[in-house]
Amino acid sequence: MNAALRSLGLSGITGNPVAFAVALALMALLLFVPAAHNDYFNLVFRNILMYAAMAYGWNLIGGYTGYVSFGNVAFFGIGCYCSGVLSTHGVDSLLADVALAVAVNALFANLLGRVVLRLRGPYFGIATLGIGVAVAEIIANLDALGGTSGLALHQVDEAHFGVYYYAMWLVALASMLGTFFITRSKVGYAFVAVRENEDAAAALGIPATKYKIRAWMLGAMMGAAAGAVFAPANGFIDPSITFSPDSNVFPIVMTILGGIGTVAGPFIGALILAGVNELLQRYIVNAHTLFFGTMIVLVVLLLPRGLVWLFGLRGGVRAWLRSLTAYRA
Amino acid sequence: MILRPTAALGVLALAATVLVPGLSARADTDTIVFGSPISLTGALTKEGHLTQEGYEFWKTYVNAHGGIKVGNKSYKVDIKYYDDESKNDTSAQLAERLIDQDHVNFLLGPYGSGTSFTVAGIAERKKIPMVEGNGAAERIFNQGFKYTFGVLSPARRYLEGVLEMAVHQKPAAKSVAITSASDAFSQEVAQGAATWAQAHGMKVVYDNKYPDTATDVSSVISALKGTNPDLIVNAGHVQDALLVQKGLKDQNVMAGGYGYTVGPDTPDFANSLGKDANDVFGAAQWSDAVKYKGEPGFYRTAQEYAKAFEAAYHHRADYHNAESTAACLAFQYAIERAGSLDPDKVRDALAKLDVVTFYGILKFDSRGLNVYKPMVVNQIQNGKLVTVWPAGLAEAKVIWPAPPWGKR
Amino acid sequence: MDGILAGGVLAIVAIGFSLVWGIMNIINLAHGAFVMLGAYVTYELYAVYHVDPFLSLPVSFVVLFAIGYAVQRWIINWVVRAPILTTFLLTFGLSLLIVNVALIIWTGDRRGIETAYSGTNFTLLGVTVPWVKLFTLVAALVITGALQLWLTRSKTGRAIRATAMDIGAAQLSGVRVARIYAIVFGLGAGLAGVAGTLIALSSSINPNMGDPFLISAFAVCVLGGLGSVQGALIGGLVYGVIQAVATSVQFTVGGQLISGSGLSDAVAFIVLLLVLIFRPTGIMGRAVA
Repeated sequence: MNAALRSLGLSGITGNPVAFAVALALMALLLFVPAAHNDYFNLVFRNILMYAAMAYGWNLIGGYTGYVSFGNVAFFGIGCYCSGVLSTHGVDSLLADVALAVAVNALFANLLGRVVLRLRGPYFGIATLGIGVAVAEIIANLDALGGTSGLALHQVDEAHFGVYYYAMWLVALASMLGTFFITRSKVGYAFVAVRENEDAAAALGIPATKYKIRAWMLGAMMGAAAGAVFAPANGFIDPSITFSPDSNVFPIVMTILGGIGTVAGPFIGALILAGVNELLQRYIVNAHTLFFGTMIVLVVLLLPRGLVWLFGLRGGVRAWLRSLTAYRA
Repeated sequence: MILRPTAALGVLALAATVLVPGLSARADTDTIVFGSPISLTGALTKEGHLTQEGYEFWKTYVNAHGGIKVGNKSYKVDIKYYDDESKNDTSAQLAERLIDQDHVNFLLGPYGSGTSFTVAGIAERKKIPMVEGNGAAERIFNQGFKYTFGVLSPARRYLEGVLEMAVHQKPAAKSVAITSASDAFSQEVAQGAATWAQAHGMKVVYDNKYPDTATDVSSVISALKGTNPDLIVNAGHVQDALLVQKGLKDQNVMAGGYGYTVGPDTPDFANSLGKDANDVFGAAQWSDAVKYKGEPGFYRTAQEYAKAFEAAYHHRADYHNAESTAACLAFQYAIERAGSLDPDKVRDALAKLDVVTFYGILKFDSRGLNVYKPMVVNQIQNGKLVTVWPAGLAEAKVIWPAPPWGKR
Repeated sequence: MDGILAGGVLAIVAIGFSLVWGIMNIINLAHGAFVMLGAYVTYELYAVYHVDPFLSLPVSFVVLFAIGYAVQRWIINWVVRAPILTTFLLTFGLSLLIVNVALIIWTGDRRGIETAYSGTNFTLLGVTVPWVKLFTLVAALVITGALQLWLTRSKTGRAIRATAMDIGAAQLSGVRVARIYAIVFGLGAGLAGVAGTLIALSSSINPNMGDPFLISAFAVCVLGGLGSVQGALIGGLVYGVIQAVATSVQFTVGGQLISGSGLSDAVAFIVLLLVLIFRPTGIMGRAVA
């Protein structure tokens, strides 16, 4: 199986070790952001870390296990509302928020997974899309959860705002390292086996359903943790913010850009996508979405396998040029 | 092999470019800079542009007339915009960028209650005053924020004028059907309408909401058709007004009158619907028929404003333009009265503000909301928008009941 | 009845989407943008040349077919054999591009088309039926039938189905796959254009109008079965009816009145989920391959 992966340009199940090292180095650098004492930087990089965590969650089920989910935003959103509910009842501890969000979503993913993971390919994708839509609408209709008006959460004062940043950093790190260790273990190989050929895997005695559910649960937990920290950090949540199409699509786009099924991919993808978005918004106020779309088109055409793959490419520029026609009809 | 380090360098370079430009401080000290995240793209593009027009119109005037006087010095005015794509959270983030990176002095609100709400939270945290003219939901002002001020009348008042007018017609409207979009603003409007109706003896025969992303409201309309209301009102934005009005015609629903929020006053409504837009009522924050005489420092009457605006932008000034300009005016008078650019002093001046303008009175209650300005009701008659209520401001008589479809 | 009429619109949007997904394994996120372009084509013809919208149907089909063909041949074709997520991302970017170009050209103004017959209706058994929506439904039925016939009888149609089933075998039989793909994508875009024209008659036109339809198209396609033309039709009608029914429901939970109309999307998707559980490949199953 490793040979098949190598033929994809991935040096192993976790992607490229150099890329991983770069990702870890960048993560370490990000520790210093609060030292700049600029709230806006905090915000930008905190969002990057949040998306990275969500991307890791998606990567487990979509990248490694091959079950492309369009509804992982549901876990993020429910995680946000867990924090929201705790806050309305006076509990403001980040630890409690994350613990509750992770537990609730793990259970939710487990139960839902038993039903939904029986579907294959696009049917699974749409089912998850539906879950995302349904959860968002149901919450929007519950006055107890604030309905469309949303919930306000208690926030710490300005002086201690950094705590949210570090919490999100920890969530992102945990997701990254978690992905690394999970995928190197027996469990990770099972995920990939399911992706490559589920029926053959089952014939070989791998309990596909059990592992699929596990992948989804772990991914859900990552997204949930990100949501649980985001909610108090933002101070306010409503369905349009927590279940936004951006929160759904960005993690997927970031993972694809960075490299599906790699450990460094989601983080690098998050950094690049958010970074570019930020620059475009700042300098091209009126047409930034246009340039953003163009950039995505160009990246897909020029780097169809994601950025991490670039790290492992042997043969330099010429090999890259040759690879561009690999997917033509 | 050169690709690997190149890629790594690329990633680092990207990180650097994000960080570096932001570290500069603003140098120019002769200009007051306002920051405003508005919806230049996304679902509320048109409304965002109307807001921007209102802001820019004021800026051009003020800069041409000597700027704003702070103590002995005159300052020019500049406004920095970012596109919030009509998204609540993006708007808040952009507000944070405007304050932390661009070092704006003050904030001018975005379009819409959702975005105004999140930006208000930022204004509060950063202690930078914000005046907005396009977010009418009261929950923005029920949070105990001290740094946010709204020049417009609250959401729940929107349809009251329409209801009041309908009750005074012959034959008087006795029943009303209320439809509303699911967003916070529309819900507040609908609740305000229902409360008023019940308090004044009108029967609410239908009261239902639909998702604010709906593309088809025909089921809602069929349901309300059977209740035979005298008056049909809709709480929503432009898209909703268009959908519902078309839907009513599609299903041949007849009532004495049809009232909408936001929609009828914008040029798009009449342009899109042609004759079917006639006789529709729009709840408006302002119209060019109002008779206020404003203080010096800007156009003093609504008519002067409307004329100058139309000359500059080639379309009739609608209330979104006017209320956005009014938000700027609030800052102008507050800054001059405070005699300082210090955020807290300006905030206090805003809290104490009590001034009449072409738009109406600018005065804020203890929450920061302008509850002192009444709404007006406009009606589209023969393709033209005219004010019909309150009677003292009416330019034309109310057309009631509305003629059947096809005869407009 | 409203449900069926609304479903007719959804069906038309979904047919093109389903075709491209089923045959080329591409989730075309720019489909909504194509619908929007079709609406604008009709609008421009109407506003500038006073062409009746119905007469513009073939025009929007041809224009969008050409656009779709070009987009596939010169952009998507580079990665058309890549994993589905790659093309997903590509169409995502294309969608952003197209919508924003439209925003620049036409601005965010909401436009509408009002003709003498807009909003006219007739009453049947106590139910008011708008003519335009009825026509849309009829058009959906006609298009489905015609498309199915063409796919099964014509030479190109058979080549398309062959390509979907087994590219290798098709190529060996002389089918030029690149050309087939371009035709299919163009067809999908053309159908989107037709949908856009019909939608323009009853909805307001603006650059963002395509998105809500896209999400429903997803659901409708899967509900009816990917790649199946009749499936898209049936799926659309069923989806429309479910939403209409959901709107009329109201119930109280824990002291709070919840009206079904606010939950119509959720209900529709839950029903979709149930259908998939019992029929994992949709109502009609996978008709092609």
